[in-house]
Amino acid sequence: MTDRKDTGVPESKKTYALPIGPQHPALLESENLEVFLDGEVISDVNVNVGYLHRGIERSLQNRNYIQGIYLAERICGICSGVHTISYCQTVENLLEIEVPERAKYIRTIIGELERIHSHMLWAGVLAHEIGFDTLFQVVWRDREYVMDILEQLTGNRVNYSMVTIGGVRRDISGNAIPHVFNIANLLEERIRNHAKVFLGDKLLLSRTSGTGPLKNSDAEEFSLVGPLARASGVKYDIRKDHPYAAYDQVEWASVSNRGCDAQARIAVRMQELMQSTGIIKACLLKLSDLRSKCRIEGKISAVKPNEAVSRAEAPRGELIYYARSNGTDHPERIKIRTPTYSNLLALKPMLKGQYLSDLPLIVASLDPCFSCTDRVALVDTSTWERKSLNEQEFRKLIDDPKYRRAPA
Amino acid sequence: MITLDFLFQMFVFPGLLFLLGISLLYMGILRKLTARMQNRIGPPIWQPFLDVLKLFSKENINPENSRPGFTLWPMVALASTLVLALMIPVAGTAPLSTSVDAIVIIYFFALTSLSMFMAGLSSANPFAVTGSVRGLVQIFAYEFPFIVSMIVPLMFAGTLSPAGVSAYQAQAGWMLFSFPVAAVVFFLAMLAKIELPPFHVPDAHQEIVGGYHVEYSGTRYAFMEVARAVKLFVLISLSIALFFGGTANIFLFIGESLVILFILAMIRTVAARTRINQVLKLYWILGLIALIELVIRLLI
Repeated sequence: MTDRKDTGVPESKKTYALPIGPQHPALLESENLEVFLDGEVISDVNVNVGYLHRGIERSLQNRNYIQGIYLAERICGICSGVHTISYCQTVENLLEIEVPERAKYIRTIIGELERIHSHMLWAGVLAHEIGFDTLFQVVWRDREYVMDILEQLTGNRVNYSMVTIGGVRRDISGNAIPHVFNIANLLEERIRNHAKVFLGDKLLLSRTSGTGPLKNSDAEEFSLVGPLARASGVKYDIRKDHPYAAYDQVEWASVSNRGCDAQARIAVRMQELMQSTGIIKACLLKLSDLRSKCRIEGKISAVKPNEAVSRAEAPRGELIYYARSNGTDHPERIKIRTPTYSNLLALKPMLKGQYLSDLPLIVASLDPCFSCTDRVALVDTSTWERKSLNEQEFRKLIDDPKYRRAPA
Repeated sequence: MITLDFLFQMFVFPGLLFLLGISLLYMGILRKLTARMQNRIGPPIWQPFLDVLKLFSKENINPENSRPGFTLWPMVALASTLVLALMIPVAGTAPLSTSVDAIVIIYFFALTSLSMFMAGLSSANPFAVTGSVRGLVQIFAYEFPFIVSMIVPLMFAGTLSPAGVSAYQAQAGWMLFSFPVAAVVFFLAMLAKIELPPFHVPDAHQEIVGGYHVEYSGTRYAFMEVARAVKLFVLISLSIALFFGGTANIFLFIGESLVILFILAMIRTVAARTRINQVLKLYWILGLIALIELVIRLLI
């Protein structure tokens, strides 16, 4: 796949090549890291993506806008909610419609519940990767509270099917609010305890502090997003900078840290968890004052030719959807950029010069979600060979009129 | 002269049959205890027996580039741990005990660890090789504090066999109370020897996919697993003989060993994995502490 000469490391340095993946316990999904070792120290790493390409963007073109919601939801198993939020916002922008206030608040609640469940899942995985299985078990036990609330509010634990074009499909009833409020309080207490262990345990600290360094300048240069960038001092949060749903109507603070290591990433996510419970509680309090309408009625038969972009802050960072309509009920093109795709670039500076023992920890501190990431795979259909392109080749390809569609 | 009594001691109690049974049982208890401490239900305590039985019925897969030692080393590992077990008093009986046990014990302990890692090296897998190299580095770390902390009770009992230390303790009281520092160092070195968290560096599942035993399957893997289980029991009985009074009462012995097992499970529960350089640093400091204690005790 990737040519080894491209790495810019002299041959003598590549003493020992260790294939991490496509199947490896440190990676929860199939991806290949080609690690070059100098003893126990990593001298270089090649990241090979493309094992999980599912052709989602092409499939979205073959479905109408409503069917697209269900497909977008299944791009990622963990951040399924924010994918539907982002997709529906894009289509709403295409249609140029405004969502009822109540729906915005409910979307915010779902998005934040999902963030809590995702960050807690991540914290458990991280503890497991350090070899601290007890913490992993305990964090995941408490994560069940969020899963239960999500099930109570939406009917599903994973793919919530809550968000739809023009609003949300279910209302949050008045009876459910006190229960969710209590659980949010309980979670706050539990998360505070977990944070105490994650940021106070001597053995954990000796593993995490200074591990996987990512300079502030590198984070800015690579345009990193999400908690990874915020842990390197880049104050970039879509919820604050380009608010969607009801994020600009409740009080909360964007978290950032200048620690630039794995410990800072833990700290940022732990603080984000506390912020999330705060946002949920604030939204729940406001829900009772709003009118009960939570969805625009109406059918989508045809969408006039238009272009739209929408962004949302997924648990892992900025999620971008771009859509173009052509007057039918099928989209002409939908382009998705998931946060992990931009964050993967950070693996190289983070891993170089680190111990192999810390590789699972560093990869986990990035919180990768590979199945969301794989958008394009280039396959020569005559030989079934896969290839990768450099920048010039790619530019030549997109300028080639052969691959251009006629305007609608 | 081989008597019926000697054969009974070799093969039934505290020999082969008892050893294999109690070692696997202790492994099961350790797993169950850890699971309960981690909020899990955990496997039944006889699970290691089922695992080993199943492994014996499985196919032996030989990797293409493996060296001849691939088959040999697991057997050496098991054989050396079993011989080791026969030299350490279990409830006051040690069938192979001589007057110079301690030196042989130190060598056989090195051999058990070494054969495990040689097994990894001979399987020609990058993960196994990395694990083995880590294991060999770890031997350099813990062997010195282990030996020094073992010398302390031996020297003050004026003997070269754990059985002698047990006899000495019967009059002079537990070595744990007279030499607490050596006992703690011994206990920590013991953790690294059986590769329990926080020192499960050579077989780190998340980093190197199980390390040195990654290529092993079937009977050979069963040998390695049994060897590890026996090693756990041997270390517990050695620590009882050296520091915890070395009782001749079998019930007291089992009680004491279960307490040690409980402490091991607790440490296993509350610890994250260390890095290999941290292991080295820690054990050299521990070795120095043990050495300083030894020198001070000799001077006073």
